[in-house]
Amino acid sequence: MRMRTGALMAGLMLVGGAALADRNDVMLQVTGQIAGGVAALTRDALHALPSVTIETSTVVTDGVHSFTGFLMRDLLDHLGAEGDRVTAIAMNDYAVDIPIADFYDYDVIVAYDMGGEALTRDDKGPLWIVYPRDDHDALQDIRFDYRWVWQLYRLDVQ
Amino acid sequence: MKRFATPRLGLILPMIAVLVFTVLLLFSLIRMVEVQNAMRVEAEQNMLWVFHQSEVAALRLTETIALADLGHAGTDDLALRFDMLTSRIALLNDGPQRRFVEQIGFGADLTALTRSLSEIAPMIDNFTPGSGARLRDALAPFARFFGRAANMAMIAEWNELGGRLETYRYQLRQTIASLIGIMGAGGILTVTLVLSLRQSRQRNRLLQQERDFSGLLISSSGEGILAVDHDGRCTLWNGAMAAMVGKPPEQAVGRMLAEVAGFFDVVTVRQGIKRALGGETSQLTFQPLFAGDCDRPLYVDLRFFPMRNGGAILGAILFIHDASDRHAAQQKDAQDRDRLEELVSERTRDLDNALQRERSAADLYRNFAAMVSHQFRTPLAVADSALQRLIRRGPRADPNEVAERAGRARGAIAGLTRLVESTLDAARLDAGQIGARRVKCDLAEIIQTVCARRRDAAPDRPIKVRQATVGQTTAFCDPAHAEQVLENLLSNADKYAAPKTPVSVMLLGDGESLFCDVRNAGPSMDDQDRQQIFERNFRGANSVGITGTGIGLFMARNLARMQGGDVTLQPGGEGVTFRLILPRFTEPQS
Repeated sequence: MRMRTGALMAGLMLVGGAALADRNDVMLQVTGQIAGGVAALTRDALHALPSVTIETSTVVTDGVHSFTGFLMRDLLDHLGAEGDRVTAIAMNDYAVDIPIADFYDYDVIVAYDMGGEALTRDDKGPLWIVYPRDDHDALQDIRFDYRWVWQLYRLDVQ
Repeated sequence: MKRFATPRLGLILPMIAVLVFTVLLLFSLIRMVEVQNAMRVEAEQNMLWVFHQSEVAALRLTETIALADLGHAGTDDLALRFDMLTSRIALLNDGPQRRFVEQIGFGADLTALTRSLSEIAPMIDNFTPGSGARLRDALAPFARFFGRAANMAMIAEWNELGGRLETYRYQLRQTIASLIGIMGAGGILTVTLVLSLRQSRQRNRLLQQERDFSGLLISSSGEGILAVDHDGRCTLWNGAMAAMVGKPPEQAVGRMLAEVAGFFDVVTVRQGIKRALGGETSQLTFQPLFAGDCDRPLYVDLRFFPMRNGGAILGAILFIHDASDRHAAQQKDAQDRDRLEELVSERTRDLDNALQRERSAADLYRNFAAMVSHQFRTPLAVADSALQRLIRRGPRADPNEVAERAGRARGAIAGLTRLVESTLDAARLDAGQIGARRVKCDLAEIIQTVCARRRDAAPDRPIKVRQATVGQTTAFCDPAHAEQVLENLLSNADKYAAPKTPVSVMLLGDGESLFCDVRNAGPSMDDQDRQQIFERNFRGANSVGITGTGIGLFMARNLARMQGGDVTLQPGGEGVTFRLILPRFTEPQS
């Protein structure tokens, strides 16, 4: 992993500083009951997880949108997380406790792409927890709506 | 019972209640579905929070600018805080949020702020310490806008919430009213149900009582009662029936009637049941009914009735009455009557006989008188004239003439004596003074004896005796009577036959009796004489000029009958044949 990242970095040195800086920034921090206690994941590391696309409407936008990202349970499995809930924290310090069961009951993804475009920090990016709201009636509830954390940057597994 | 004025009201009221119940239930259901659908919190109702977050983002950007002015914050912090504010503005410009902002009248303000954001962006990028005041001034409208918008959002949301709650309350009130109505209708239905249940229970009880009473009537009836359905299967069988036929109800009910007892398979009974099933009533009297183990039959009267329900015939009902006593009484009556009739006829016969005897006696005397006057006069006249001649001749008469004339007189007197004897015999017979002493005797010998005596008395008359093969010739009779009968028959045959013609005597016989036929060649008799020939004092047409009393054949027959035999006149043929019949002697069984 490290070797490959190193090779990739060497290959991309020539492309440009900004892009390089973006790709090496830590995009998501995971703390709590995971293997190693702390994980800092870069964009590349997140994109290396199997990507999943779901189509759903949201409560803050009009119409149906296509979201692409990785399954939350894939991430937790990848990190060897043990616990029953995850505290998701946004950049504006918005924090919500989400039961881990949600990720196994539903295909909850962490989206980095909406409608074919990468999510950005000045909108709802770079990461947005998206529930497959249209596929399950149970998810069309305000008690699930507040779990849609955007501008996500940290997860704490408890 | 009569809780409702009319039965129609009793039916209409619950129907109305059911209708009301249904309508109200439907109405409250619709209302509740409406409430359920309305009870959904829309995201834009969280606008107060959105404005608060936006205001916090604006204030934190302002704060970061102040810190950056003092060199306590870097450009990265500044960029992050600016991005946060930008994202809030972007959120507000998204569909639902944008509509709410326009609804509360801040659409133009938001557009202006969005535009000013693009002017602020270069100032953030090119931030240098000391330039913070200008940036803060540019950001001032943001916090003000968010504060005012939050205020308006609160008012709008509360208004909306108040309105919504009022609608809910109104709808719930309607639902409550409907539920009260439903309860009322339910109450009416319950009361109706309870009433009708009670009524039905009461009716059931009455019906049960009636049925029990009918059952009691049937079971305690002295008459046997049974019912059959159209297939001939027994459906009812009471105790009296069980006692008469000797089969308990459990062996009869449900079975074919013909299988229960043979009595019901009798044609007349079967027809009665068939007629009753066809709707016709009928009855039978004194039918013999043999109960299972009894030798003597019961005599029963049967009445068949169709069992009707409305117009339909459900089956037949049969009442059986034990009429044995009546039958016995009737039988006894009949016997008494028969005996009485017999007694009467016996008496009548006795009286007739007595009358007959009286008449015979009268006839006897009259005939006797006639006979005496006629028959006795002739020999008397013969004797008288013979004696007169003797007296006239006196001494002139030679001894031969005297002997001849005296002999003639004596013959006439002897004939007279015989007449008197036979008359006396008949009188003795009438008086019952003659009896028969029956013993074993040989009839052939008797015939020989009588014929020999007859030949001596009338040497001119040939008598032929013949005997057929008859085996034993022993008869069971009184030999004296038998001789007299034969004497009579032979004397008669001699008397009425032409001179010199033979008289034949023949002995015959069959298994039980011996016959002795005495035949002469005399002229045959006409029918009337034949019928009367055995009567006392009767004298046939051919007896004119021949002395006789008309008693001989009468005596002969009576004597023969006295010994268990008879004397008959054989029909047809030449001459006249009389037959003496006597029973054969049979060895007494030891």
